[in-house]
Amino acid sequence: MSKTRKLLALQFPARSENMGNVRQKLREVMASCSKSETMTNCIVLAVGEACMNIIQHAYGKEEQGDIILEVEKQGDNMTFRLTDFAHHKTRAEQLQSRPLDEIRPGGLGCHIINEIMDEVQLVECKNGCGNVLQMKKCLHRQTESN
Amino acid sequence: MECSIKPEAGYDLLQLSGEVDMHFSPELRETILERIKAGNPLLIDMGNVSYIDSSGIASLVEGYQTAKTANLAFGLLNISGAAMQVLTLTRLDKIFSLYTSAEQFRQEL
Repeated sequence: MSKTRKLLALQFPARSENMGNVRQKLREVMASCSKSETMTNCIVLAVGEACMNIIQHAYGKEEQGDIILEVEKQGDNMTFRLTDFAHHKTRAEQLQSRPLDEIRPGGLGCHIINEIMDEVQLVECKNGCGNVLQMKKCLHRQTESN
Repeated sequence: MECSIKPEAGYDLLQLSGEVDMHFSPELRETILERIKAGNPLLIDMGNVSYIDSSGIASLVEGYQTAKTANLAFGLLNISGAAMQVLTLTRLDKIFSLYTSAEQFRQEL
């Protein structure tokens, strides 16, 4: 079994204006791993959506804090872990997609994440932090839009 | 993100470019709704959109619905590859009217 390599550990304030830089850093990391620009775009999109959920729903308007983004690679398997320090505890059912036959603004973020990633789960929070969301993607597995 | 309105004969052309994320999507939403409330059909040129997330897509969906209610044409022009990926993932490529030329949109007015 190949060794797990940590490719990125980035801590940043959970604010929308930081997301451009975060996406750029993730894009640079993915450029060295992914053979396809489409795959890179999809992963950057899914991680961006997950960060947006933390900013809007975990921290919300009342609270401010950081997000830690960690990226690991083991063979062709990538793990993206987002840790926040919010008081709000995200529940697994909040990560479900909504029906797409309802044409309305909003609520598409979880659908996008679930479509792109192979596995999405909340994992145990070890250091008393708020929530840890772990997303896994095999670089050989295509999403529907590829 | 940059968005600018160019009045054309019979409709408004919104030229959208760059990264449309949650930081910029409120501005996009406001621009779209303002033009529709002014009573103008709207065509959004998305050829230079390098990134769009669900918040940007939500602004487009709200524009589409508001235009439909007002019986005004609402279309997306020259969808970039990055934007098309998101529309496909969310199945909205089947909902929006997509155009490859402004002339096509104008003829349908």
